[in-house]
Amino acid sequence: MQRRGLLKLGITAAVTLSVVGGVVAWIQPGLARGNLSPLGREVFRAVGVAVLDKTLPAQDGPREIALEGMLQRVDVLVAALPQHAQNELSQLLSLLGHPAGRLSLAGLSKPWADASLEEVQQALQAMRVSSLALRQQAYAALHEITAGAYFADPASWSLLGYPGPLKF
Amino acid sequence: MSQLKDPIREGIQRGWKVTGGPFGPSPENITCDVAIIGSGAGAGITAEILTKAGLQVVMIEEGPLKSSSDFNQKESEAYPQLYQESAARKTEDKAINILQGRCVGGSTTVNWTSSFRTPAPTLAFWQDRFDLKNYTVDALSPFFEQAERRLNIGPWLTPPNENNDLLRRGAAKLGIAAQAIARNVKGCWNLGSCGMGCPTNAKQSMLVTTLPAALDKGAQLLTQTRAERFELRNGRVTALLCHSLDSKSGLPQQPHGQGAIKIVAKHYVLAGGAINSPAVLLRSGAPDPHGRLGKRTFLHPVVMSSGIFEQKVEAWQGAPQTIYTDHFLETQAIDGPIGYKLEAPPLHPLIFATTVPGMGKSQHDLLKAFPHNHTLLALMRDGFHAGAPGGEVKLRGDGSPVLDYALTDYIMEGGRRALLSMMEIQFAAGAQQVLPMHEMAQPYTTWSQARDAVNALPMKPLLTKVVSAHVMGGCGLAGTEALGVTRPDGVHWQLENLSIHDGSLFPTSIGANPQLSVYGTVNRLAQALAKKLSGQDVVLA
Repeated sequence: MQRRGLLKLGITAAVTLSVVGGVVAWIQPGLARGNLSPLGREVFRAVGVAVLDKTLPAQDGPREIALEGMLQRVDVLVAALPQHAQNELSQLLSLLGHPAGRLSLAGLSKPWADASLEEVQQALQAMRVSSLALRQQAYAALHEITAGAYFADPASWSLLGYPGPLKF
Repeated sequence: MSQLKDPIREGIQRGWKVTGGPFGPSPENITCDVAIIGSGAGAGITAEILTKAGLQVVMIEEGPLKSSSDFNQKESEAYPQLYQESAARKTEDKAINILQGRCVGGSTTVNWTSSFRTPAPTLAFWQDRFDLKNYTVDALSPFFEQAERRLNIGPWLTPPNENNDLLRRGAAKLGIAAQAIARNVKGCWNLGSCGMGCPTNAKQSMLVTTLPAALDKGAQLLTQTRAERFELRNGRVTALLCHSLDSKSGLPQQPHGQGAIKIVAKHYVLAGGAINSPAVLLRSGAPDPHGRLGKRTFLHPVVMSSGIFEQKVEAWQGAPQTIYTDHFLETQAIDGPIGYKLEAPPLHPLIFATTVPGMGKSQHDLLKAFPHNHTLLALMRDGFHAGAPGGEVKLRGDGSPVLDYALTDYIMEGGRRALLSMMEIQFAAGAQQVLPMHEMAQPYTTWSQARDAVNALPMKPLLTKVVSAHVMGGCGLAGTEALGVTRPDGVHWQLENLSIHDGSLFPTSIGANPQLSVYGTVNRLAQALAKKLSGQDVVLA
């Protein structure tokens, strides 16, 4: 019974998302000319804070600089993706930025910028282990791009204890 | 930038015929004896042999021409430049991330040098199930020997790095035999950055061996040029239509129609790698009377276990993948429960950080332990059982390929056994904690705790981290038309002047890192093709 209920919720969520998605992608895309739109930045900023919580610098100033650097590198990373992947990401961010999409996909009732760190972490955790593939895929994309962009910067390597490539 | 000699830049200065991208536009119309699509393992071997036979060869490569002067060991530059889809190519359901090369030299430019001949049980299966009578160990052996000589494939005599030695020691404690992996290197510096392009030209990839040989003999190389489709008439290919890509972005030029190139050849060789080769045929509307094209595409789906050790492992340094064990390929029948090969992959910051699961403190603790991290991987041998029938290459609306690959219960139960095997080896080697790569797993500090937890995990796609670096099949060889796409001599069953010379030929996965299987198989096919087209007998080495 519980399984059937979940399955039904899954289908409803998917239908809601596809309807909302079509409209939202047209109104406010997650990417604009291959870069994060203001909406895309808002989502990735919140995800960055939540995922990299203990990894980002503790002080406000350096933390902001690190986050801004990460967002810039997300742009670089996204620009190198093939068009089909950029389109999918744009649509995903578009959905996550829309109140209805954010609620069905991330289970987050507040806008990303207003949600607390714990609320965003809880939302991401629920997506991570969701029974709905779409939510798991969304989590995986956000997590992979966030970590990839952050650690593309050699300045982040000291945390990893990685000395960088051998020079010769 | 490295101060070492760069044989590619020297060759260009000598007058190699290279166009596309920064090397200037290609002619709009080209005629030649043989057009080869791709420049990786199959294309490189074919190009050297055909040019040796005096044939006029044109190679078409979608990726850029980069060489040792460009290879700076940085993942953030290597992945977008040298890999398909920035090293983020995924199966249709996003459950498997696929690492595949996209540059001159193909995956051989970025692989980790592991060299194995096609295992005898795999060949026996092909003989039995795909009517491939001349695919025997004895018949292929001289062709493997030549490839090994040409590419300096041999035992790696330097002691393994700690990352690999942990596999050796852990396996030994459990009475599991582990062996050394042969490598295709000459004067290797033991840097560990093979995956980002070899900065010292020690790796004997196609980039520094067969391709320079072919270019020195007058072959033409079109870089950053996408093979779109064949024109077909009466069971023959009449032309290959290509498109040059933007020199900076590597994306198709706009507006559409600009940069079109038409190549007319006597014979065509498709060697764009599994996924891309079937895609060219799908875009061309190639005949497929038995519904085989793009089907049975295999991945060696990989699951991973990440261990933390008291001592430093520094898995980024030293020759990658020098120790392996086939124990778990051999504990059951080839068509029984899925078997797996264990190896220890190199770790670099980007690939590591994107693989570390979770967020917040738990992620942070794992990231900080990077120098102490030792990860094992299990390559599962798909294609030998009805439960692992492989995936299907499809085309998106824009003509780009996507692989639909189902991670069946049969495969995922193999994944569970593989996680258990790897964790047990890591604990035996002295791991303080072990984390199987699964979204619902935790770091475990004892073998019994880890075993109980993994036995209870739901082994589902997306929850379980699955990756692949070996794409095979999709244009499968078969001795009978109904069983495959390609004849035993490498010629397409329905298109008489088209050969397929890459990993897409394999009717199952290999059960080992596939580069030498491509070299050996294609070496034989290319020699026969050279004889047919030129009347000449040529050998690779």
